[in-house]
Amino acid sequence: MDRSTVIVAEHQGGKIDPITYELASCAMEIQRYRPTSLKFVILGDKVEDLAEELANNTGKDIIGIQDPNLVSYNAEAYKTLLGDLLQDLRATYVCIAHTTKGLDYAPALAMRLQGGCITGVEHISQEELRICFSRAIYNGKILANVIPETEPTVLTIQPGAFKAPNLDNSIAGSVEIRKTTFETQQSRRLGVKQTKESDSALAEAEVIVAAGRGIGKKGKLELIYRLAAIFPKSAVGGSRPMCDMGWMEYKRQVGLTGATVMPKLYLACGISGSSQHIAGMRASGFIAAINTDPNAAIFNVADVCVVEDLTRFIPVLIEEYEKQ
Amino acid sequence: MKILVCVKQVREPESDIKIDDSGRRIFADKSTSYRMNRFDEFAVEEALLIRETFPHTSIDVISLGPARSAMVVKRALGMGADHGIHIITGGQDLLDPFVVASLISSYARNNNYDLILSGVMAEDDMQGQVGPIIAELLSMPWATSAIFENLSPESGSIYVEREIEGGYRDCLELRLPAVLTVQSGINEPRYPSLSNVLRAKKQDLETIDANVLNTVPPRQSLARMAYPQKSRSGLVLTGSQPEKASKLLHILRNKSLIR
Repeated sequence: MDRSTVIVAEHQGGKIDPITYELASCAMEIQRYRPTSLKFVILGDKVEDLAEELANNTGKDIIGIQDPNLVSYNAEAYKTLLGDLLQDLRATYVCIAHTTKGLDYAPALAMRLQGGCITGVEHISQEELRICFSRAIYNGKILANVIPETEPTVLTIQPGAFKAPNLDNSIAGSVEIRKTTFETQQSRRLGVKQTKESDSALAEAEVIVAAGRGIGKKGKLELIYRLAAIFPKSAVGGSRPMCDMGWMEYKRQVGLTGATVMPKLYLACGISGSSQHIAGMRASGFIAAINTDPNAAIFNVADVCVVEDLTRFIPVLIEEYEKQ
Repeated sequence: MKILVCVKQVREPESDIKIDDSGRRIFADKSTSYRMNRFDEFAVEEALLIRETFPHTSIDVISLGPARSAMVVKRALGMGADHGIHIITGGQDLLDPFVVASLISSYARNNNYDLILSGVMAEDDMQGQVGPIIAELLSMPWATSAIFENLSPESGSIYVEREIEGGYRDCLELRLPAVLTVQSGINEPRYPSLSNVLRAKKQDLETIDANVLNTVPPRQSLARMAYPQKSRSGLVLTGSQPEKASKLLHILRNKSLIR
């Protein structure tokens, strides 16, 4: 059997997660540099219909692992079941979504396969005829171009980094379902619970004014609320450190582990722009950022950049608004 | 209980980060400041909290890096950890997480830890891999992004809540020994106390040359570093503060984003 590039499909609530198609796009780019066959793998307690749907939508071959114990994610089950299957498939590259789940099992899976793992991949290129994966380091200020020194390599792919491709699905791919019943030895799943109420205010707002560590003092948050007040249909959000420090309620957190938002305007004040934050706001209509550091990563995704100390600039901005 | 906490020294990420002439390192000079990776501070604190609940706990802290990284081990001792280990490496900026995890594992393997803790990732290389790789190399269960834990030494297990997307937590129980990587916000890391700092000053670290441990070839290498491309226009406003404010308002009005 030839070598393959394998995509681990994501699904939630009986639907294929759109990130799956982004992973396909990444896998197709890998194929440009390293010709391999492309396959999808999907895991869950009921995956037959989802596997059919994927085979129809992508025209690729799908292998489903169906296990009544896989009602939801378990690291031990994933690394063991995927490890066996990927060895079977002679996987050269494995594309996994860079989510809290993907990042939980990808490194250990790579060890199972005697391979390497590169997390948070945003871009693929070639360096001296070798395939090269770019990932953000130093809070997104720098990109590291990394070359795998071994095969297979397990990759976690940054959501939003690759656009869903146009796939030739004129002929549906094949579907193979492998049934297992895996009993975990070292861990026990106890379910998922909701702890942070999502704030519908963030979802409904047309304008989000968001604060980050650059605000310096909790007392200065008042400036953010005053600024938000000049916009109609606005809400105040914050980056993770704001919530960790207890300066803001968790329901206001924007980012991978908080809310994903797409307001018409996102005004980032004193936010450095960690990839976890950017993942939650990059789809906003228009992004303006205020930060003292001209190299802050937030400026890489901004439409307008203001290099200023927000505690001085926001009062001037409000004053100018009131003048006009 | 015997706990190992893995800590890393990182450059202040909010400082000026520039690529040097080699294209493969971040520029550093005498004025460059370093500190403990923030996520690791939460891991040290969590170990200290466990020791408060289970007083017969000993806490070892390990760091891997060049000579200067001994500072973060000392800081952890200053926070209250019992014993410090420093695996001394060359001065590379970015190490392969597989190599790092292999070195730490080869130390941990002979020391019968019940629990190994680290931060969810390092602020500099942002790989988030060392914890789960150590777990796999030592055949232990693991959980990343832990935001709550409750240890039961008598039943030989630990209850963990992992922070996942959208305000949810994934709850699970791991059999000990286990590895946890700790998410920020799980606790409030304490400052080093004067008495502990004085004790840490006198206390020798266990230092090990990385070359005497089992070295493994890296599974990834750095080709070069680059600055990220802007994904949007990134228009930088110029002028005095009132001029910038007025320009920003003008742009927002043209887009009907403000009245």
